[in-house]
Amino acid sequence: MLSKSQAKIFFLGGTGVFSAAFIALTIDTHRKVPAQTRQENITPAVSAGKRIWEDNNCMGCHTLFGEGAYYAPELTKAVERRGKPWLRLFLKDPEAMFPNDRKMVNYHFNDGQIEEVIAFLEWCGNVDLNGFPAKPPLAAKMAASSSTPVVTSKPIPPIFDAMACTGCHALGGKGGAAGVALGAPPLDDVYKRKSKAEILAWVADPAKVKPDTKMPKLPLTPEQLNEIAEFLSSLGN
Amino acid sequence: MKYASQKVAYWFFASALLLFVLQLVYGFIMGFAHIGMDGLHQWIPFNTARAVHTNLLVFWLLLGFMGAAYFIIPEEADCELWSVKLAYIQLVAFLVTGTTALVGYHLNIWEGRKFLEIPRPLDYLVVIDVLAFLLNVGMTIMRGKRYTTTSLVLYMGLLFAALLYLPGMITFDNQTMDSFYRWWVVHLWVEGVWELIMGGILCYLLIKLTGVDRELVEKWLYIIVGLTFLSGILGTGHHYYYIGTPRYWLIIGGIFSALEPLAFLGMAIYALAMAKKGGRKHPNRIALTWSLGCAIMACVGAGFLGIAHTIPQVNMYTHGTLVTAMHAHLAFWGAYAMIVLAIMAYAMPLLTGRKLWDSPVATWAFWTSNIGMSAMTGAFAVAGITQVALERRMGMDFLAVQHEIEMHFVGLLLAASLFTIGILLFIWNFLRHGLPSDEAIGANIEGLPVGE
Repeated sequence: MLSKSQAKIFFLGGTGVFSAAFIALTIDTHRKVPAQTRQENITPAVSAGKRIWEDNNCMGCHTLFGEGAYYAPELTKAVERRGKPWLRLFLKDPEAMFPNDRKMVNYHFNDGQIEEVIAFLEWCGNVDLNGFPAKPPLAAKMAASSSTPVVTSKPIPPIFDAMACTGCHALGGKGGAAGVALGAPPLDDVYKRKSKAEILAWVADPAKVKPDTKMPKLPLTPEQLNEIAEFLSSLGN
Repeated sequence: MKYASQKVAYWFFASALLLFVLQLVYGFIMGFAHIGMDGLHQWIPFNTARAVHTNLLVFWLLLGFMGAAYFIIPEEADCELWSVKLAYIQLVAFLVTGTTALVGYHLNIWEGRKFLEIPRPLDYLVVIDVLAFLLNVGMTIMRGKRYTTTSLVLYMGLLFAALLYLPGMITFDNQTMDSFYRWWVVHLWVEGVWELIMGGILCYLLIKLTGVDRELVEKWLYIIVGLTFLSGILGTGHHYYYIGTPRYWLIIGGIFSALEPLAFLGMAIYALAMAKKGGRKHPNRIALTWSLGCAIMACVGAGFLGIAHTIPQVNMYTHGTLVTAMHAHLAFWGAYAMIVLAIMAYAMPLLTGRKLWDSPVATWAFWTSNIGMSAMTGAFAVAGITQVALERRMGMDFLAVQHEIEMHFVGLLLAASLFTIGILLFIWNFLRHGLPSDEAIGANIEGLPVGE
């Protein structure tokens, strides 16, 4: 069995060897990171965005490169996922975009600061992260079988096509392409956030509820309005 | 207690417990926010609560480690503390610095880097404070009549913890490099040098509580901390899988993180073997219970729940989800919170001369807190695994998934309430001891044979 002095040598020797290996790898990492992260794309705007990110402790709710807190979405691919117009709108007034839902502090960024944050996130989205975040491997299967809990399988009333609702909003797993950049949410789970009365009021005159909304006021009869609100709020049943 | 200067440890322990309670309050704020009850959002938004919660943890654990060192080192070195006055100054300064940082977090003043949110000017004060502490303990060891492995390992742990704080102060324009060095602090602390501190304290407690020969206990201490560094240093690689660092970290991190549980398993086997071997029946059973509990929960929380998501293929989907919170809670509780509570349970009767070790409150505190924390870990696990399945595997929207898992946060809050009861019982028992007393100096209240 080892003696105490041999045990000590094991501790000190092992620590020395592995510290040296770690430092060697660190030096190599320093050499390789600029290319892997496209460091040349770090413009003054990106750096300014990073400072805004840090000054407001965004990591205290969000993750970036998968690091941070788990209260708010992972943002590495935020620009790719939402598009810049959506992010601009959202950062102006985060709570307006998700009323009655989880809150984000409104930092009252000016337009320049918003562009800097977006520039930083865009740079982050282009860093080679060894494959992270992975594309959800089951997403295609779920869409094919359309059995995800969010996507409704109820027949969609014709009024939705007639008014091009599904142009901006996804519903029943289809449509929504035009609304991605505007942040038009899928309508399948609207009932979770809005009562029937709220849906009625919103669709009747969106700007009355939210002045800077991108959603148009549609020429709808009271019957049609009611049909839409009735259908959307029935999706929870 | 052997030396009057050991009494200073009491104030470090008392402050640590106070901050611990505050940490729980902020934990509850976050737990409630997760189920939509975010009424405090305007004053304490989630990022504030989160920074305060994690910083308080580090803050009270460091106070606990310092208290432990001030209690252990004079006895190990066999002489009075170098400067009691410096110890008190250093305590007050540390509390003021920490509290200032915490207040700042409520005013949106921070550095915004996870776990290292403390603003730069305060960083320097922390460094100065820790240097004062190291000087005090170091001088005590130098002037002492004997050098022991236990005090050496404990001191090395504290010294390296201070040195490794420095890389966290380097900043880069490149987020990847920023993150790279942030882990030098965070990982090399908790999966490296803090384990030296934990090992040193555990070793001291085992020598005292089991009566096994010091040479044997200390020999195994070397082997275990050796294993810690052997796996833990390159194990840092598991933080470098997906942050923009080279691909070889996937292999290096994967292999060495797989070895990390060995150090914790070794620690658990070591503690249990020493307890079994020790023939002596020490009257302070609850201190031994905390010590063994610490080794076992560290093995489960830090060791096995750690490896559960450091395999790169698994981590691809669990990285940045509540699975991390599951591992982190049991790991910090088992490895670090419990070792600090263990040394308190051992030291309090000696500091005050009051034999409260077989009080039912002490036993209830142990079991309630441990069952509570295990249940919390379970709630985080279910929430985390569901999040991984729905969001990362199926591609559901983040917020939709968060609503799906709200119920598990109700479970979490219930478990956390049980845990809190346990901690409050521990604190009540702590307070029942009263203040440290000079009458306890040299009193053999444990009724043990003279010597070790």
